[in-house]
Amino acid sequence: FLGAGGGNDIQWCFSQVKGAVDDDVAEADIISTVEFNHSGELLATGDKGGRVVIFQQEQENKTQSHSRGEYNVYSTFQSHEPEFDYLKSLEIEEKINKIRWLPQKNAAQFLLSTNDKTIKLWKISERDKRPEGYNLKEEDGRYRDPTTVTTLRVPVFRPMDLMVEASPRRIFANAHTYHINSISINSDYETYLSADDLRINLWHLEITDRSFNIVDIKPANMEELTEVITAAEFHPNSCSTFVYSSSKGTIRLCDMRASALCDRHSKLFEEPEDPSNRSFFSEIISSISDVKFSHSGRYMMTRDYLSVKIWDLNMENRPVETYQVHEYLRSKLCSLYENDCIFDKFECCWNGSDRQVEFFSLIVMTGSYNNFFRMFDRNTKRDVTLEASRENNKPRTVLKPRKVCASGKRKKDEISVDSLDFNKKILHTAWHPKENIIAVATTNNLYIFQDKMN
Amino acid sequence: MLGKGGKRKFDEHEDGLEGKVVSPTDGPSKVSYTLQRQTIFNISLMKLYNHRPLTEPSLQKTVLINNMLRRIQEELKQEGSLRPMFVAASQPADPLSDNFREAQPAFSHLASPPLLPADFVSTMPLESCLTPASLLEDDTFCTSPAVQHDGPTKPPPPALQPVKDSFSSALDEIEELCPAPTSAEAVAAESAADDSKTQPSESNIHKPEGLPESRTADSKLMDSLPGNFEITASTGFLTDLTLDDILFADIDTSMYDFDPCTSATGAASKMAPVSADELLKTLAPYSSQPVTPNQPFKMDLTELDHIMEVLVGS
Repeated sequence: FLGAGGGNDIQWCFSQVKGAVDDDVAEADIISTVEFNHSGELLATGDKGGRVVIFQQEQENKTQSHSRGEYNVYSTFQSHEPEFDYLKSLEIEEKINKIRWLPQKNAAQFLLSTNDKTIKLWKISERDKRPEGYNLKEEDGRYRDPTTVTTLRVPVFRPMDLMVEASPRRIFANAHTYHINSISINSDYETYLSADDLRINLWHLEITDRSFNIVDIKPANMEELTEVITAAEFHPNSCSTFVYSSSKGTIRLCDMRASALCDRHSKLFEEPEDPSNRSFFSEIISSISDVKFSHSGRYMMTRDYLSVKIWDLNMENRPVETYQVHEYLRSKLCSLYENDCIFDKFECCWNGSDRQVEFFSLIVMTGSYNNFFRMFDRNTKRDVTLEASRENNKPRTVLKPRKVCASGKRKKDEISVDSLDFNKKILHTAWHPKENIIAVATTNNLYIFQDKMN
Repeated sequence: MLGKGGKRKFDEHEDGLEGKVVSPTDGPSKVSYTLQRQTIFNISLMKLYNHRPLTEPSLQKTVLINNMLRRIQEELKQEGSLRPMFVAASQPADPLSDNFREAQPAFSHLASPPLLPADFVSTMPLESCLTPASLLEDDTFCTSPAVQHDGPTKPPPPALQPVKDSFSSALDEIEELCPAPTSAEAVAAESAADDSKTQPSESNIHKPEGLPESRTADSKLMDSLPGNFEITASTGFLTDLTLDDILFADIDTSMYDFDPCTSATGAASKMAPVSADELLKTLAPYSSQPVTPNQPFKMDLTELDHIMEVLVGS
């Protein structure tokens, strides 16, 4: 059981950290997305340099029952290259915005990776055997003189060192004028959507030269543009249903059966503004940076700048739960606007679940600044702040909860708001689909934490 | 970025600005609200102007900043009907050419009287917003010295008040003169509609350096970046104030032996560095000069002389 509910708070322990140690961060190494595959055996990261690194979990050692398998590098490949748009005289960044895994159907693994403009389907396959004993070729590949061949033999497969190959199988290009922020694979496992600032397109995984536009919010007159799409996701079970969030804090649920162009939403989720919290920055902090359905699809979670909200799909006028991630930043919004931190896009994720049952979607995780990340237990209503730092390096040491002191006298071990490092932000986190293992990305390092197993 | 020391310093200063939002109708706190609004407006403009990315800027960010600017404009508009120039100039325009057709009505509004200093929020110093009087009194700048250009009929421009609050930099003082020159410019603009495209680019000498480049980039990004329209539209704010007109409008040029036609362009290049710096100073969120209210306004010819000397390089 996943330690959810019943007061069994998970005790998180440091397990591993991947990435460079030095403080000087190479721009290309900045992690831009983290995603477990459906079994949790593989963990993929994308970075600003357009590379994808996949880690594989070791098979659990039966004798070492105190820890789950470690993650080691399985494959590294260059997914996207920088491009130049000659028409606009602008570079197209190679940064990987999102990675989404397909469920495994055969020996190979497939994932979708996208930058601002192009989505690619990658096949990752293993090769651990190779044919030997050709008649016309030497082992090193040189051709033999046919006249020297006196006998024939059948080539056989012999084991070789494992080689993991990544090859691009499909390239879905030229369908987005604006920057792609989301991709989401449909529950039919045949189609997927890609969303940019103003449009959402529907693709078939087999067809690269055609996509269907299902949402278009571009106004006829661009000067009237006041709202953009920030994230989109398919419903986990209903293959005609998807949601998309906006920069004004709204979520629209659409049904593709209603019409070809889903410009009219079936449901609109929006919480009325709290007048006591109104400020110049109300709109900006209401912009939703991530939206994730719960495992059953009955709820969805949204992340805006200061909070995480849980919505019941049956109730449009307000969320059922709201969790404050770092409310102490509310009085610093002007500074955060000036240094652009207010535009940081934090993601959020649910705990893993070995069943598609609502009861198991109980813990929410999201990142913050100073390399802190937060977890909210929906059942106990307790929350915890933890830190991803190399100082807590010993495996199986339980992470110490952190606390930020908003104002007043700072207690021992508390950190004051003014001491927070806003350059150390945790934007991307992922939870193993079945176990209590989490991957937390700092700027250029990937931390893996596990719960303490007795 | 928010490093530790830097943030603390910034934050101390910020304490007065951040925290609870005050209603604009509160008395003394109206000032801090206005100051905050001014700061945010300036920051927003800086973000739109100074961002020079190699890649396309984020549309979401641009839209959010635009919305911020629009909201502040709306608020200012509602606070008084005396800001038609400002508001009209800020209407986002579609293609580059439209921008200047939009700007013309802005200039025509100069015919209507009081223009409060807060109108020129893009170039207005923070100090003016700290002056309650300027916000409460409609006719602070109604009267003018009759130092008008031999232009077409227009109402007396606000300027040269012997007593004025909270202007501490010479440039700020000079800007008070601008309704006169800008209305002259407005008439010129209206009469030369086909030149409107080129005129603002020449007159925007006080734009930050990188902007001329952004103009060519603008046309390329026209379709995908509404922010470009805001950029071109918001240059409308600055076209109102051209130092050529401000400085030379009321000067008896015979003293300096200038040919009025060439002096503008001749001096423009010299003025550029001065004006850009000054403008950036006014755009900076915090002025280093503490302001005392009721500081007498000391604009007079000696100041103008001094500036002329600097510009002429004598």
